[in-house]
Amino acid sequence: MHRRDALRSLTGLLGAAVAIPSWAQAWTPSALEEPKLLGSTQKKVLTGMVDAILPKTDTPGAAELGVQRFVELMVQDCYEGPQRDLLKDGLDRLEAEAKNSKGKSFADLKGTERLELIQKWASGPDKSNRDFTQLVKDLTIHGYVNSEYVMTHITKYELVPARYLGCVPV
Amino acid sequence: MDNFDTIHFNINGKEKNTFDAIVIGSGISGGWSAKELTEKGLKTLLLERGRNVEHIKDYPTTNMMPWEFDHRERLPLDVIKENPIVSKCYNFKESAAHFFVKDKEHPYVQEKPFDWIRGYQVGGKSLLWARQTQRWSKYDFEGPARDGFAVEWPISYDDIAPWYSHVERFAGISGNKDGLDILPDGDFLPPHELNCVEQYFSKKVADHYKGNRHIIIGRCAHITQPQPIHLEQGRAKCQHRVICERGCPFGGYFASNSSTIPWAMKTGNLTLKTDSIVHSIIYDDKKGKAVGVRVIDAKTQATTDYFAKIIFVNASALNTNLILLNSKSRRFPNGLGNDSGVLGKYVAFHNYRAGISGTFEGYLDKKTEGRRPNGGYIPRFRNVYKQETDFLRGYAAGFSAGRGTVSDRSGWGADLKNGLFQDKYGPWYVGSHMMGETIPKETNYVALDPELKDPFGMPQLRIHVEYDDNDDKMVKDYIEQMTEMFEMAGFTNIRTRDDHRNPGLDIHEMGGVRMGKNPKTSILNKWNQVHAAPNVFVTDGACMTSTSTQNPSLTYMALSARAANYAVEELKRKNL
Repeated sequence: MHRRDALRSLTGLLGAAVAIPSWAQAWTPSALEEPKLLGSTQKKVLTGMVDAILPKTDTPGAAELGVQRFVELMVQDCYEGPQRDLLKDGLDRLEAEAKNSKGKSFADLKGTERLELIQKWASGPDKSNRDFTQLVKDLTIHGYVNSEYVMTHITKYELVPARYLGCVPV
Repeated sequence: MDNFDTIHFNINGKEKNTFDAIVIGSGISGGWSAKELTEKGLKTLLLERGRNVEHIKDYPTTNMMPWEFDHRERLPLDVIKENPIVSKCYNFKESAAHFFVKDKEHPYVQEKPFDWIRGYQVGGKSLLWARQTQRWSKYDFEGPARDGFAVEWPISYDDIAPWYSHVERFAGISGNKDGLDILPDGDFLPPHELNCVEQYFSKKVADHYKGNRHIIIGRCAHITQPQPIHLEQGRAKCQHRVICERGCPFGGYFASNSSTIPWAMKTGNLTLKTDSIVHSIIYDDKKGKAVGVRVIDAKTQATTDYFAKIIFVNASALNTNLILLNSKSRRFPNGLGNDSGVLGKYVAFHNYRAGISGTFEGYLDKKTEGRRPNGGYIPRFRNVYKQETDFLRGYAAGFSAGRGTVSDRSGWGADLKNGLFQDKYGPWYVGSHMMGETIPKETNYVALDPELKDPFGMPQLRIHVEYDDNDDKMVKDYIEQMTEMFEMAGFTNIRTRDDHRNPGLDIHEMGGVRMGKNPKTSILNKWNQVHAAPNVFVTDGACMTSTSTQNPSLTYMALSARAANYAVEELKRKNL
């Protein structure tokens, strides 16, 4: 969190809507503490899921924004035991499913193939598969929508709106 | 520890422990007591049980962006499990949890369920409050006498009106001059806007109920147009960030930290001691007066005595009760000033159980822009001029409308991305929450536990406060009336709730050291002086004889300023 001090002094106490400088946009997830809930294969599967759920288009995808770290951290810190097990078991079983049906690790499949497997589970008969894919989807959306890139470039969050207008045209 | 013969030796430096005035507590009311007393030239010791929080310097999260919070402001499960009580509070989140008291550190006994939400640091809960500030009217002060509950207030609206103006001007209160006798106008800075749906609802309600019910813009402690006095305080215009609970680097809203305490410091007459827990007020039986306070150092547990001619107790409502109950002497074996036996009794709070929400398909061509640290307000309309319903008193309510863009989460992949960010707007959402007056009763009380102590050696407080029949009827009426108003206005998807939350979560607990005309049935007189110990003043929530419906902090500030000025005059007249 030390890099934020420099950033904070830049945006300053006057809090004008200063654009985030370009060096801060190169924020890499490696600068932050890694969550410890998942093993290395599970992390790869989760990254593959996050990337398939919100892939790169003309805007960055969720995986390149590091949303998989957010998903893992949230489940590790803010969710109960059953949800944590749901995530871990789900990732293990999804990896097994990829090997069985496509002959490859989940992370090595193409984006469309990964999404196909996820969607099959999301609308399938198995409740824990549906719950698992929904958990990952919800947290992926949450992490993506609240990411620095999206809030800066797409939804244009203002820390300092400095105004409230009660009735303006849409 | 009831040794009334303890001689308070303070051989080394009694001089340096002696002040003109002592103020217990640096929260929203204590900051005012300190400001007024120091401005009038009194050397004042301000004792704060918690740590220092210096304006701007000690607001660690105030400039953080949403993505900088690891859990996007949600709290880790282990924090929530460690703090089952305070984690019920809407403001106990990753960005502001450091300003709240943690359950384990400050235990108390719930004889009946009570969620006691506290902030122990310089500034207290003035860092965290919702900043809603309405004046009481004469109908509120006259309530107990007219309706036959509690005891008659010893003051009237006319007594406090000039002091409301006094604190409003300094604090910076924004509001609209609505001209309502039930909610007097104040010394206002320009009001915030009601949005189009709020204005629509306001007009519909005014027409339908023939001017007997009102939706107005909230009166709030935000600087919308800085006056010279605010600039002199080093405070600027509110920037509408609406992350006030983190502390505001602009001083845009009123908190002791940005306003009254630095002002008191500037006089050169203030000594601020943090980590100083007041154990009791020292009553000298020989002299027949209170002479000072005994303080426990929060870190070392060492005790020190401080002395002063006048003492202001602003420790927050229930802690003020605790201190007075714990202040035993030969004269007052049952707690300071407790000749009447009512100390700790007639504790009340605000009924926040009910709420209502809905949607509105009108004004679809309009939206809002920016953010607003405020909302609409519905002044009490029940039993105002006479008793009309099957319950006593009534409720005020918040009312707000808002609208956001449509977000479709049903897709996957690129479709999902497109669904999440759309330029389309959804319907307007409308909502209201209830703020009901509760009737103070002898059976709602706080008391000292005879055995249990907290980690600082203070007796734990036993809290026995619960809802009654009147509260249940009031909830029913709020739900019925608001549903009727919502339906009349064409709101749909109406949902109501009675969440049966515990008393306390309103964070408007009051009473126990009530003001009254008769020393046989009250503790304080019309100047907030303890009847039997006139150099001790209580001006925080503990002094409240009844609760009415208004957010109470503005009234605490006005009472503190009024009492402090009276105390100084009494000192000059050599009556104290």
